[in-house]
Amino acid sequence: MFVLIAGGGRTGAQLGSLLVAQGHTVHLIEDRTDVLSRIHHELPTEVIYEGDPVNPDLLEQAGIREAQVLAACTTSDAANLALCYIARDRYQVPRTIARINNPRSAWLFDEKFHVDVAINQADLMAKMIAEEMSLGDMMTLLKFRKGEVSLVEEKILPGAPADGIAVKDLELPDNCTLAAILRKNEVLPVRGDTVLHAGDEVLAVVNSANMNELADLLGRSPAPTVREV
Amino acid sequence: MNIIVVGCGRVGSELAYALYQSGHKVTVVDINPDAFANLPSDFRGRTVAGDVLTPDVLQRAGIEQADALAAVTPDDAVNAVVAHTSRTAYDVPTIVVRDYDPRKRGLHEAFGLQVVSPSAWGAQRIEELLSEGALRTVFSSGNGEVELYEVAIPAAWNGMRLGDLIDSPECRAVSLTRAGRASLPSADDVVQTDDVVLVSATRKGIQMLQKRLEQAKER
Repeated sequence: MFVLIAGGGRTGAQLGSLLVAQGHTVHLIEDRTDVLSRIHHELPTEVIYEGDPVNPDLLEQAGIREAQVLAACTTSDAANLALCYIARDRYQVPRTIARINNPRSAWLFDEKFHVDVAINQADLMAKMIAEEMSLGDMMTLLKFRKGEVSLVEEKILPGAPADGIAVKDLELPDNCTLAAILRKNEVLPVRGDTVLHAGDEVLAVVNSANMNELADLLGRSPAPTVREV
Repeated sequence: MNIIVVGCGRVGSELAYALYQSGHKVTVVDINPDAFANLPSDFRGRTVAGDVLTPDVLQRAGIEQADALAAVTPDDAVNAVVAHTSRTAYDVPTIVVRDYDPRKRGLHEAFGLQVVSPSAWGAQRIEELLSEGALRTVFSSGNGEVELYEVAIPAAWNGMRLGDLIDSPECRAVSLTRAGRASLPSADDVVQTDDVVLVSATRKGIQMLQKRLEQAKER
């Protein structure tokens, strides 16, 4: 695959190295001299095109006409939007992906500017941090459908509602299915009569909206009752 | 008219003030509130500080009631994006953008926006003034792609056929003035010293004509 990356900051350069390592053809455009001197150590010289990515002449030099994907990763939302627009409108690039810097400009990152996929870094980070805070030990391993559905791992805590309960008797939330149970070094299939024990790790695919209910069922011990002395 | 000016630097402040003086309701938007110091003290329009890519700033600027918008910041991507957004999301009827960096002209063209390139136009105009002889620019259309020039016929061209002097597809004679009386010229007209011919020409066309004029003078 031939991927054109605009912007060689942390995001663009990291993406570039990743794709080069996977054997893809990558061209990356960057104009800041300090950034250029850094990425020349991280990426092969033939990958790097020096100049302002919003300049159509430079985009053509960097091969936008042949690009299969444009990844607009600059620190300017306006530049990322303009790049996606001309990539599709002028050069028929089949897929455009843009980074959103300011979550408040997220509303523009759609078909208005021919953005196929928008990555809202700040929003993703904020949501992940909020999740970590509320879900205790539940770990998100993978996200699907733009983060709507997740594959999570959760350890069953002693005294959790699921501790000592057979799978068929679990009151699983909606939009949730168990994928596997890890007990010591064994991978157990999820059968109705498998009884869950404290210490088991459960892999589940769950909709984000139902994640809290699942955490309550598997991990969190019921809120401690306040004892009066 | 309700007019929004995005960018309050040299061009934006000048433009906002001129529009205000002609009686329009003007709102100036800039990401940096210090920029409003560029406006003359007797400017009586509204100022809104904030990022024009955010919907609340556009709404505070009155985008829903705007009759026209000028995007004149020094960032071409911002100009193109705010103009395209105003057109597609808010149906603003008249939109003009400033092309700040002449190398990014193609960006504004891709968006199909009405664009003014002050730096490219200024450079071309200065070049013309510096090299001007028997040629004078009287009108500039678009961003100077085609201009109208007055050509004073030199003595060396007296008695020549107009069609032999101006015969390039890049350059056309549109009027011939002799002793204060103008007519529509044809290729067969014979010119006299001090006739004034108005020609419409591209940059390439006028350069060719200029070269011929210089050669005529040397003879």
